[in-house]
Amino acid sequence: MADVLGAFEQAVLLGVVRLADEAYGRAILNEVQERLGRDIAAGAVHATLERLEKKKLLSSRLGAGTPVRAGRARRYYRLQPAGVRALNDARAAVDTMWRGLTWPLKGRA
Amino acid sequence: MTSHPSSASPPAWAEALLRLLLAPKDRDSVSGDLLEQYRDAIVPTRGATADAWYLRQVASFLWRRAWPWALIFSGAFVMRNAYDWLVPTTDFHVRSQVTTYFAIGTLLLVGFGAAWRSGSALAGIVVTVVASQIAAVFSVVGSSVLLAILKSPEIDRAIAGSGGIDEVYLLPFMMIVPAVILGTVAGVAGKLGRRALSRGNS
Repeated sequence: MADVLGAFEQAVLLGVVRLADEAYGRAILNEVQERLGRDIAAGAVHATLERLEKKKLLSSRLGAGTPVRAGRARRYYRLQPAGVRALNDARAAVDTMWRGLTWPLKGRA
Repeated sequence: MTSHPSSASPPAWAEALLRLLLAPKDRDSVSGDLLEQYRDAIVPTRGATADAWYLRQVASFLWRRAWPWALIFSGAFVMRNAYDWLVPTTDFHVRSQVTTYFAIGTLLLVGFGAAWRSGSALAGIVVTVVASQIAAVFSVVGSSVLLAILKSPEIDRAIAGSGGIDEVYLLPFMMIVPAVILGTVAGVAGKLGRRALSRGNS
């Protein structure tokens, strides 16, 4: 069975998928902030990327730096097969839970 | 901070602290990400408060390194208080030994882990000191809640017999002294351990 993903881990992995070849730390941070609609600490995204890489759901490589970042290298992330499986499982679990219900739910009050 | 966004720089000490906390492999990429965000997005939109944003980001890295240890450390302190108050004694020798060794062990682990991760003895000291002070705040809050729940004349007597209320509120903050000493020892050990391992691997 693939890893069970938390909501934030899913947001980060989906950010990596959306950004494709441009998935590096700052771009992922901005993507996750935009999708979740709130400010996110860079430390939270970094810790999640590190954890997902340790779990082999992501891989990373260093790329060239740019003048605005004082020439410091960018670390680019790529989804691994285990990450694809984990995301598919997460989506399937949500779909199963919602089966037979109409979204959005109507409140009783 | 200078006025043009592309050449603006966050406080040098904050950037140095950030780089200190990071593993060597992440040092350039993560500090570069923050610098890029700071120059491209934060300075143009937030102006004079951009440095505050940067400091919050660095604090979040520090917090992530320190809070789990702070929780363990303060949990032990609050449990010791609860034990002393609910099961009063006049001989604290064994209890003191257990909590002292637990505290020493925890602080050594904090410093060793931080230094091992970053390859810097100074990171071990910084994270140990910060963890001890976050633990102090957690301990004071935890002990206050415990006191509010247990409040009774018997508990007041037990507190008076186990060092008094001052010890409950001041002792956790005084842990900064052993944190500096043990963080230094563990920081040096962590740095040397990492260096020895990387030599062995090469």
